Order: sequence, then C-alpha cells, then structure tokens
Amino acid sequence: MRKNILISAALSAMALAAVPAFAAGPGDNIKQGKSLGEAGYEWNKGDGEDAEALKAKPDLKNGRDVYEVCAACHLPEGWGLTDGTFPQLAGQHYKVIIKQLSDIRAKNRDNPTMYPFALPSQIGGPQSIADVAGYIQSLKMNPKPGLGDGKDLAHGEKLYKENCVRCHGEHGEGDNEKFYPRLEAQHYNYLLRQYQWIKEGKRRNANPDMVKQIQSFTDRDTKAVLDYVSRIKPPKDKVGKVGWKNPDFK
Amino acid sequence: MPFDGSKNKLSAFGLALSVFVFPSLAAAADGKALYEDKGCTACHGEDAKTPLEKGYPKLAGQNADYMLQQLKDVKSGARKNGQIVDTMKPVIDELKDDEMKALTSYLASLKWDSQGAPPAKTLPGKALYLTKTCIACHGKEGMKPLMKTYPFLAGQDKTYLLTQMKDIGSKARANGLADSMQPVMHLVNDKEKAQIAEYLSLVK
Repeated sequence: MRKNILISAALSAMALAAVPAFAAGPGDNIKQGKSLGEAGYEWNKGDGEDAEALKAKPDLKNGRDVYEVCAACHLPEGWGLTDGTFPQLAGQHYKVIIKQLSDIRAKNRDNPTMYPFALPSQIGGPQSIADVAGYIQSLKMNPKPGLGDGKDLAHGEKLYKENCVRCHGEHGEGDNEKFYPRLEAQHYNYLLRQYQWIKEGKRRNANPDMVKQIQSFTDRDTKAVLDYVSRIKPPKDKVGKVGWKNPDFK
Repeated sequence: MPFDGSKNKLSAFGLALSVFVFPSLAAAADGKALYEDKGCTACHGEDAKTPLEKGYPKLAGQNADYMLQQLKDVKSGARKNGQIVDTMKPVIDELKDDEMKALTSYLASLKWDSQGAPPAKTLPGKALYLTKTCIACHGKEGMKPLMKTYPFLAGQDKTYLLTQMKDIGSKARANGLADSMQPVMHLVNDKEKAQIAEYLSLVK
C-alpha cells in the first residue's frame, strides 16, 4: 500500500517536472522561422502553420466564431480604428491574413498586444486560421478610413506609380496569390507605423526588396505616398455603407 | 472517534507529496515567512490586501506568474516606475530566485479581495473599460486576465491603478508585458484613466 503511494507521488513529481518552466509560453510549440536580417531569411518561406492553413477549406461560420475575439479591437465590422491604433482587416486578402496571423503567433512579426489573442488556446489551430481569414476577407470595407493631411497628393501619386504599383497594384489592391496586402483605404496612421517599422527593420517578416526600395524615401515622400494610398477608393462592391453594423455580432 | 482509514491514507499521501513533489519548497524558502521576515507586510499589509497607503497594490491572490515577473524586473531594474526603486528594490535585491518563487506562490494562494461583483451604481469608467479594449485582456470586471502573466484588477487600489495606467502609457513603466498595453493607452485621456481606475477599484 505504502509502496503504491510512493510510486504515485513519484509519478506526480515527474508530471510536475514536465510542466514548462516560468519563461515558457503557451505558443512555444509553434515553429519560429528566421527573421529579416538573419542569415537564411527568406520572405514568405511558407514552412510554418501558414502552409497547413492554406491547404484547409475555410468554414466561414466557424470563422465568425473565431473572429469574436478579434472584434474587441478590430471591431465587429473589421474596420479598425481611424486613428490607426488597430488596422482595418475587412476585405484584406485571404492569404495575406493567413500569413500575417501565422507570423504573429509564431513570433515572426512582433505584436505584443495581439500575440496572446492569436494563440491556439484562444482561436484554435491552422483550420481556424483559414476560417477566420475567410470570414475577414468577406467583410465589406470601411467607407471612411483615417487619412493624412491631403496636402501633397500629387507627389504621393507620382511616387506610388513609380514605386509601389508593381507589387501592390494600380489602385493598392495587392495580390492574394502573391501574399501582397491590399493597401487601399487602410488607415493612414497604421500604414505610416508599419512603413516605418519595415524601413527600420523592426517588422521582422518584411519583404527585403521593399525594405531596400524605400530606404531613399524622405519623410515628405513617405507621408505623401501613404496619404495617397489611404485615399484610394476600393471597388464599390467591396465597400460597406457608412454606419453599417455587423449583424453577426448583435 | 472511529478509526478513519481513508483520512490516514490521505495524510500519508500528503506527506509523500510534500517530500517528493515539492522538495525545493520543503527544503528551502517558506513564502509566508519570507513575506513577514522581509518586511513586505509593512507596506502591503499583514494580509497582503491592506496596503499602508494609497498607491500601493494589494497582492493577496494576484497571479503568481505576474508577480514573479514583477519581482524579477524590480531586481534587475527593468521596472523602475514610481517609488519602487527607493522602497522595494533594496528588499528584493536580497531575494534569490527560489525565494521569489516561494513568496509569489504564497501570495497567489491567498484569496483575492474582490469577487468580481460590479459596483452598485453605473460608473463612466465601466463603459470605458468595455470599449477601450481593457476588457479584452483583463476580462469581465477585471477578474479574468487572459494570461497568467497579466494581473487581476478588480478591487485593486485606485491610486495604484491610475499611476500604472499613466506610467505604462508614458513608458515610465516598460517592463514585462507592459508593451502589450502601451500601444492602446492613448485611447484614453487622464480623466478617463481616473474613471477606469475608480470603477475597477469599486468592483466588489
């Protein structure tokens, strides 16, 4: 009898020893890739959870349920905040959402505020990533995004056409197949923040070609081109009505 | 009293557990003794929920992981806002890692002061708490932190709450996971921060 107790106690001790140490986090089992600046970094390598999520068939009903946690900041409509604190997600490309969400939870893109919400314990596995990406893509976009001061738009347009069109498209529509994000009608302050982080190398999952390309942009160039982008009107069928409330979250 | 075999088995099991499962605690640091001997009681109160003055936090029942992070950060100098360097750092500097663990485990084992019952009257701070994203991480009425490394807020000292909000916003407090909160602090002005602090302090 006593022997049994000792054995079970010893087993419990082993079980406790198996509990991760203090520094370990709930997302530690997700494979972290290489970062911008590290040797061997390859943009959009696709060897993380994104690969699995991309194979999944999105279930928009579950996507709605997963999105509930996102809605606390990005709002039920996915419109974000016009001051740029939280970006507009609505209408973003399916594959872009999958890549960015996978990168954030694998700690390949730093976002301390969002990180815990992106974890499997909160939203589930790769299938859930696909589901929520499908749901987000289906949302109509914010008709009144946050804008810049509007004072230098001709300069911004010229820069955009010379530098950005090749990847982000004629009107900032991006490219789902190539994982290039839709930029049109994104909040100006959010664009500005991400652009600076990409330029400085702080956004660790950035495309090195873009990092290189924007180094010569002055502050004036930066503000002008992003102001121009934030003001591009997306196709009508992609934009919601002013004041629309998402009925999925009544 | 009739012989109660099951009770004996349980205490034998308990003994075995204490010896084999928690050898480090049994051998070394005693959190309760540390709390008293190191003078923590002087500022945070005998029961760890009756702080000496406004601006000091209640600790009883707070998340262990959160408190451990704070102790480590005070010791390393990463957390240096408010009076913490002058008042608390000299004490914490003497603590070894296992003592910090024992201390925070003991404090976490105590009962948190608030049950999470909303204040009787409707306060403007509650609407702010719900709409300015506080609830997303700290949970309903400040009682359900999303992570063990995030603190309970319900019933916390009002002045302490306000100071921390301001300090995290200004980056005067930038240790631990403060960087997850800093980017949203501009969503509320100082008056609104005070309203949120008032509401949270009154959650019963």
